[in-house]
Amino acid sequence: MFSKGNIVTYVIAFLFILALNFFLPRMMPGDPLMAIYGDEALIAMTPELKAELVERFALDQPLWQQLGAYFGALFQGELGHSYYYNAPVLPVILGRLPWTLLLVGSSLVLSTVLGITLGIESGWRRGSKTDRSMLAGLMGLNGFPDFFLGMLLLIAFGVTWGIFPLAGALTPYSGLSGLALLLDILRHLFLPVAALTLAHLAGGYLLTRNTMITVLKEPYMLTAKAKGLSQRVLKYRHAGRNSMLPVVTQTGIWMGRVVTGALFVELVFAYPGVGYLTYEALLARDYPIIQGVFLMVAVSVLVINFLIDLSYPKLDPRVSYAY
Amino acid sequence: MDKKVLKLLPKLLIPAVIFALLIFPSCPAGTPEISSYTIADSTGDWGYPSPYAHYSRGPGYIRMSFIFETLVWKDASGFIPQLAEEWEYVAEENAYIFKLRDDVTWHDGEKFSAEDVVFTIEYVKNHPNPFVTLIGPSGVRETIAIDGYTVKLYLEQPYAPFLNGVAGTLPIIPKHIWEGVDDPKSLTGPEAVIGTGPYTLADYSKEHGTYLYKAYGDYYLGKPFVDEIKFVKISEEMIPAALKGGSVSAGDIPPEVVSEMEQAGLTVITAPVAWNAKLTINHRKEPMSSKQFRQALAYAIDREALVQITQRGYGIAGSPGMVPPTSDWYNPDTPQYEYDRAKTRGLLEGLGYELEDSYFTKDGEELELELIAEASFKEVGQFIKQRLEEAGIKVDFRTMEAKTVDAKVEAWDFDLSIYGHGSLYEPSILKRVIMDEGFNSTRYTSNEKLSQLLQAQLSEMDAEKRKELVFQIQEIYADDLPALTLYYPKWYWAHDGNVNLFYTKDGLASGIPIPLNRLSFVKEQK
Repeated sequence: MFSKGNIVTYVIAFLFILALNFFLPRMMPGDPLMAIYGDEALIAMTPELKAELVERFALDQPLWQQLGAYFGALFQGELGHSYYYNAPVLPVILGRLPWTLLLVGSSLVLSTVLGITLGIESGWRRGSKTDRSMLAGLMGLNGFPDFFLGMLLLIAFGVTWGIFPLAGALTPYSGLSGLALLLDILRHLFLPVAALTLAHLAGGYLLTRNTMITVLKEPYMLTAKAKGLSQRVLKYRHAGRNSMLPVVTQTGIWMGRVVTGALFVELVFAYPGVGYLTYEALLARDYPIIQGVFLMVAVSVLVINFLIDLSYPKLDPRVSYAY
Repeated sequence: MDKKVLKLLPKLLIPAVIFALLIFPSCPAGTPEISSYTIADSTGDWGYPSPYAHYSRGPGYIRMSFIFETLVWKDASGFIPQLAEEWEYVAEENAYIFKLRDDVTWHDGEKFSAEDVVFTIEYVKNHPNPFVTLIGPSGVRETIAIDGYTVKLYLEQPYAPFLNGVAGTLPIIPKHIWEGVDDPKSLTGPEAVIGTGPYTLADYSKEHGTYLYKAYGDYYLGKPFVDEIKFVKISEEMIPAALKGGSVSAGDIPPEVVSEMEQAGLTVITAPVAWNAKLTINHRKEPMSSKQFRQALAYAIDREALVQITQRGYGIAGSPGMVPPTSDWYNPDTPQYEYDRAKTRGLLEGLGYELEDSYFTKDGEELELELIAEASFKEVGQFIKQRLEEAGIKVDFRTMEAKTVDAKVEAWDFDLSIYGHGSLYEPSILKRVIMDEGFNSTRYTSNEKLSQLLQAQLSEMDAEKRKELVFQIQEIYADDLPALTLYYPKWYWAHDGNVNLFYTKDGLASGIPIPLNRLSFVKEQK
């Protein structure tokens, strides 16, 4: 079902990414230590520390030995040390990851489910008033970038009406626990999730609607109708399922960028996710963090692609014959 | 049946909205006595507030300074006693004697004594603190405890900014805790935040960028009148709204909202300028190596208009002596190079240039300079390009990634570049950015008189004489112009007035321009 050639492709892509991550800072102008450690190195660097770092990264050795040292460290789970945060890179990123997963995960589920449902309904009644108004409305939404929707929502519900909080993932030092804490987190989550969901809703909707219209003309739909199946079964099980393939691809592409996909929305809401971390790292020129995030994004894109490849045949067995 | 799903949607949405409204808790009620004070910050996380683990930036130091204290401290008008009740400088021995308070306890109940001060200084020599260097010119040769509450510090050499940069900046740490610690950066447990200050750390969250401080009941100046201080993270754009809504008590604000904040009943304060943007000129390359050429450039740039246009008026035009006009160290006789294109033309013609069509030429070659800067200086760069071109000097302006700019400047591979730095309160910055090494310095050493003066002011212990030297430096520097200070931006803070925030004289510690002096929270300031 899944060919060896495919796996080899993934391995090559993975190694290529690792190599890029290794060579980029070394190709930057100036001292590679500066590029590896960023601005902080300049402030915190003592001769002892410099000697230690040069040794750790084998910077005084030929390039291929440096590469060896790099892979050695990587396989021990060491993504580097951030001098800005005075901490190893991995825990800093992992500390932010749950919030990003919560934010992007909930909006991904919401926008996909809503997008598919609305797409099926809209495609089913193509040309009707409902279809046309939905199409126009969602096309309009599609034109807004997520951060812009976020700003509109924040200004309306946060600043003007004060219904939702202005920033963060929870109320600091509110002394809440249990259910009250959960509600507080949800209250902070509401606007950013709404912004992301609304911004990404249209993509899934348009794709589903288009495929739906094509699928409805298929002969098997006529057969199904002739069998006297209920409209609900026709719509969702026969037409709907077959319209999902492109949406799965699109969701996958977005999922691959889960780590940084919400960067702008996180910025607008000061949400403590990986996107915000990336932005801060860019401002502080904290190259170890930037590289760590880059590696994580690359790996998650690869993993998601792999999972999508695996899921296609389940959704549509015809895909397997293509190999 | 057809519309079932569509009908279902509102049914789902209505409970969702009700749910959303339910989870909105009641507004926090404002209390007249100050049980809690919330400070907004757009970055949030500045590291664990121990003397070593906080990030080596001003806000990191401030979070630490609520817990740890120094020998002397500053209020709005200058030095005040802190851990040391009094101090004197013994010129013939080049030593400082500090008489310490005898009623100070560490947060864990241990008594504070001269031992702790001696230990701290020895410890910092071996483990450099990001804000204080005790080796080299600012170093302490020997520290002795004369008795339990008197210490004597012998300096390596006379060092004028010693009180400001060392005694007023170095946090004193408890000997009984740090004695066996080899790697101070990794000490991040509760013992790492035991100090003598008015507050103790109750919580710190790296992810959320929040801090919670509680008043220390046994503080030797009496329990602080603000029970609890919170630092919370709010994006820059939302701080004004949070201030107006009352969810935070203080925060920095963009200049555009100053009047809006004042109308909303908030108190707005502005810092004496502490940061400058400058045009760095490659004085080791033709034709910029000529002083007259550099002066010609200065006459062509209208710095007043630059502030109005690129900073929307929220700033002060740069003084070519670098020291801002608001400073006590400012020399009013510094040459100013008032905008005058005729003078540019005169100077350039004196150097053999001729104005042909719109640009100057020499030996048939058009005068063209390359200006590089990072993207945040885009408007400033465009303004300079426009003004220089109006004056007949063609400019190729390029923005690039900051590191690339630094590397090119470091390697002298540029004509003009724009660069900014702070720490303008204390004149010791002058030596660092004029003659020391590094991309952030003009590395201008060809004027021996200037180099001597820069060196001499650092070791002149008499404040009046030092001022005289700093005045001379400004005149020579402004005349030689290895770089031209373009503008000083203005920074604002707004607060609810419950605590009287103020800007510390010459900045907190060694010069941090943020109005969060712990004194504001200890006793009500007038």
